[in-house]
Amino acid sequence: MASSKEIEHAAAAWLARRDAGGWSERDQRQLDAWLDASMAHRVAFVRLDAAWRQSDRLKALGAGVPAGVVPARGSWASSPFGAADDHADEPHHPRPVHAHAPWRTTHRHRGKRHSLLHHLATAAMLALLVSLALVWRHYTAVEQASYRTAIGDLQEVPLADGSVATLSSDSRLLVTLSHGERHVDLQQGEAFFAVAKDPSRPFVVSAGGRRVTAVGTRFSVRRDAADLRVVVTQGLVRLESDRLPNGLRQPTTLLPAGSVALASDTGVVVHSGSVQQAEEYLSWRSGFVSFHDTPLATAAAEFNRYNARKIVIGDPGVGAMRVGGNFRWSNIDAFVRLLAQGFPVQARRQGDTIVLTRR
Amino acid sequence: MDDSLNNWFAREILAHEGALMRYLLRSWFRREEIHDLRQEIYVRIYEAAAKARPAMPKSFLFTTARHLMTDRLRRGRVVSIEAVGDMDALNVLIDEVSPERRMGARQELKRLTDAFDRLPDRCREVVWLRRVEELSQKQVAARMGISEKTVEKQVAKGARLIAEYFYGGSHARRPAHDDATDTAYGNGHGQQQGD
Repeated sequence: MASSKEIEHAAAAWLARRDAGGWSERDQRQLDAWLDASMAHRVAFVRLDAAWRQSDRLKALGAGVPAGVVPARGSWASSPFGAADDHADEPHHPRPVHAHAPWRTTHRHRGKRHSLLHHLATAAMLALLVSLALVWRHYTAVEQASYRTAIGDLQEVPLADGSVATLSSDSRLLVTLSHGERHVDLQQGEAFFAVAKDPSRPFVVSAGGRRVTAVGTRFSVRRDAADLRVVVTQGLVRLESDRLPNGLRQPTTLLPAGSVALASDTGVVVHSGSVQQAEEYLSWRSGFVSFHDTPLATAAAEFNRYNARKIVIGDPGVGAMRVGGNFRWSNIDAFVRLLAQGFPVQARRQGDTIVLTRR
Repeated sequence: MDDSLNNWFAREILAHEGALMRYLLRSWFRREEIHDLRQEIYVRIYEAAAKARPAMPKSFLFTTARHLMTDRLRRGRVVSIEAVGDMDALNVLIDEVSPERRMGARQELKRLTDAFDRLPDRCREVVWLRRVEELSQKQVAARMGISEKTVEKQVAKGARLIAEYFYGGSHARRPAHDDATDTAYGNGHGQQQGD
């Protein structure tokens, strides 16, 4: 069966063909046959057709514009609908940044800037002397910030270089931005990084004796006692370790998108799969945890990362049971309820813990 | 095609696409499936409305969405407890997701203009010449010095993107997680999971 996106593309192709002119009765019959073949085809076509008919109203913008001229983006700002923002009722969704706004300003001020540059050039010689003295200080200047989240909290933190870190529950970061390097010390927990490209300043996440280095990419790093898990969803990162106590050094590993690497004292295991599979490890960002044939003990530990109330495995038999599914990590009760319904498991609540035993 | 049904569908259902997408993004954990989900929801509604138009289209839309997600959880491929999943998450009030409102004509034009301005350069030029100056595709090709086939492709792309931006509106991308994809929520081509 075709995916919904393929269907949408096919519907768009039909619409464009009909729009091209020279549309015959035979063409119409073919289109009808396609529409009749599946309700999904019909709905996709109806939707695009409605939007395309809407676009007819763009004519209102053509008034006063000479033929053959396509107005620049945003040049309607002073027209009938003014600057009023109809997104005001959607405060949670910041509007995407349109690239055209700054571009227009630059354009308009180019003349002015030119003469300004002239002055600057004259001043440059003087400034050079001063700045040479300042360079050293500039290079060593650092910006430092630390972030932490409580249990059950997620936080998205924009960093000064344009990167964004998403802290998982109960996590701690120390971010140091200097001229030559962007350094994040993951002191506890897990964080996902969407790294702004800056080849001159590598982005390094260190955790214990290991370092994960990236230039512009997306990946997460998670600490579990001495172990480290790295999930890469875009680009390439480098995982390296300090010398171990026994004097050996684990080899440096390059991780492409789709990799899930587990580094422990015994070595580094890399699982290379699709980006989609890797993304599953990051479903915590949207509030979910995912399990596939996971021992209950592991699943419980996962829930415990996010909740002050802890699941305790009361006997090993229960801990070894395999579970699967996607759950809201904040809903520990639903998880426990489902366990008790579907498995021979009994849940006892004792203060801040939920003890699971065999029934 | 039944024009009155199609007009009803655009006016009462597609008009809420932005709110629907926010709801789906919030409730469904696999982003790559959301495009499929949306299609399935629209199919169910269109089929139902062909028999009788629902009295309260908007709540019908969200109820359908919730039922569909619940069904999908039940039919999940992973047996064991995924089958029942976490349905509490789906029980949100509709009005919490999208306060009732109707767009005025001015707002609609503003939204259309925004959608138009978000089109890539070449696509935007083709749409302008075709829709505003009312040149035929052939004339557009001659004017821009490109092939008619290319114009047709740009028209197809324009229709898709205008639908996405105009109906989907600012559900657009979530801040940090998404790349610059042409549709705001997915990445690349969706995949059918399971069933």
